[in-house]
This record gives sequence, structure tokens and C-alpha cells, in this order.
Amino acid sequence: MSRLLSTDVKAEPNLTPILDMVFQLITFFMLVINFKSAEMDLSLKLPVVGSARPVDTKGQRDLLVLNIEKTGNLKIYGRPITNIDGYLRGESQVSMLAARMTAADLEAGQELPTTIVIRADRATPFRMVNRVIKACQDNGFRRFALKAINKEP
Amino acid sequence: MGRRGRKKRNPPGVELNLAAMLDMAFQLLAFFMLTFKPAPIEGQISLRLPPPQAAMVVKGGQQAGSDEKNPNPIAGVNTLTISVFANPKTGIIESLGIGEAQVPSVAALDGKLKQVFADPGNPFDQVIIQVSDQCRYDELMKIVDICTRQTLANGQKLAKLSFVEVPGG
Repeated sequence: MSRLLSTDVKAEPNLTPILDMVFQLITFFMLVINFKSAEMDLSLKLPVVGSARPVDTKGQRDLLVLNIEKTGNLKIYGRPITNIDGYLRGESQVSMLAARMTAADLEAGQELPTTIVIRADRATPFRMVNRVIKACQDNGFRRFALKAINKEP
Repeated sequence: MGRRGRKKRNPPGVELNLAAMLDMAFQLLAFFMLTFKPAPIEGQISLRLPPPQAAMVVKGGQQAGSDEKNPNPIAGVNTLTISVFANPKTGIIESLGIGEAQVPSVAALDGKLKQVFADPGNPFDQVIIQVSDQCRYDELMKIVDICTRQTLANGQKLAKLSFVEVPGG
């Protein structure tokens, strides 16, 4: 009786189940985190095209994502690019060097293996998009992927 | 007897302090929950866009139909031209054409192109799209979408497109 009334009884909750649950949640969020979204400007409203298929890169990792705002500004990883030609020239040299590691016979002026992914706002005038496409073509890029969505979100 | 006594003695319990680990785990959880932003499901249209070139190189002094050895004068032309003219203020497509023939609407373009590419004798393997500079990107994508759905005479999908900007259209 006297033992029951004593006040020095410690309440020690078993933290193991809560820790298990928290680690499961952490694992979930670590698996679904998408670092790729950093290269996408999510404020852009992409055009709606019925036949646009989800990205199938077929193992290809050499992608260069270009975000074009409706004012024509080019953004890469959230950073505005003013000297488009200079930037693309640098990227083409990087692509060329990377390609030569696998295909040594690739020469300057040949088609580069990098795919240019264009994410342009639906209201962008064509001349703004064409300015970027032409700059890419001038620097040897031929493969393009025009981003769109299947339906309005 | 002494040995038995030692065996019966319970070993001292080891109690790990999980509170610190739980704190850290909750911090990590909060970070991942706050930075979680599901990526939108986006599609894409893959294209090979070579720089636009002239549809046919005409030799100096050459006249149409003057080559008797060539029974098909159109054989040298392998590029189909689509013209897209948009309202300069709104950027919405106002008129369309395949070659010199007018197409009444974007919806009709698909049928017209199917007719062109269904002809087994058609020589086209690439398309040049002439677009007025103010045309909205989503309007242009409608045309690109229709073009990429076409199948060439050799059974391959049309993937070779070029854009030509028409100023002030």
C-alpha cells in the first residue's frame, strides 16, 4: 500500500513504435523527393497538347532544360540568362567533351547528343522561342523535346 | 551453489535514451515534409530540328521541266511547307496553308496532311513550318502535335521539322 502511494514512480513511455513510424515516414519522403524539380520553373503554364507523352528518356541522361517565360526571358535553374549564345556555346563544349569520352570520333560541327528540353510558357510569342531554338541549332544541338501537359491541372 | 547464485542474478538493464534520436528524426521529417513538392506530370514532343534549308537547290540556268532524264520533276523536293499566320495582337492562328493551298482550320489540317502523306508517291520526309513571329507558343504546338502524328510513306513517324519565322505576320 505504501509503495503504491509513493511519488517517485517514473513514467517512461515506450518510444520505439513512434521512432519506427517516424523513420518510415522519413524513408518515404526521402524516396519521393525530386531534386529534378529544381531545374523546372513551376510558375510556367505549359501548353496543353493531347499527344504529349510522359518523359521517356530511354536511359539518356544528357538533358539541358531551358525555361522560357512569356516575356521571352530564359531561365536555367531559376537563374536568368542574358547571354544565351554564350551560355549555349559553353554547354555545347561540355556536351562535346562528354560525348568524346564515349565516341572519340565526334568532331566539331556534328550533331551533339544532348537533348534540349524546352519548357516555354503557352503565351510566349514564337519569335522568343525561335530565338532560343536558333541559338541551340547554331551551337550544334539538333535533338529537342518540347514540353507540354496532357490536360489542364 | 555459488555458481548457481551468480547465474540467477539478473544482468543490469541497458536503457537507451531514445528522446534525442526521436528529436533528430522529427527534424528530418519536418525538413522533408516542408520541402516536398510533387513534380507535375509533364509530357513532351520529341523532335529532330535541323536548321531550315532551302527546299530544293536549283542549279544556275536550270529551267523547270528541262531535264528529260527526270520523269518526275518533283523528285528533288522532299520538304513540305506549312504556313501558319496568326493575329499580331492576340497570337491566335488566323490562316493556315499547306504549300499554296489554304486549309480552313487547325482541325482540318490533320485530314489534309493525312491525305498528302497517304499518297505512296509523295516525296516528303520533312516539314518546314513557316510561323508568324507573334504566334503564341500553344497555337504553334497544336500544329506541331498534328505534324508529329503523321506517318511517312516509309512507315516512320514524321519527326523532322524546321521552323521559319515570318516577321510581322
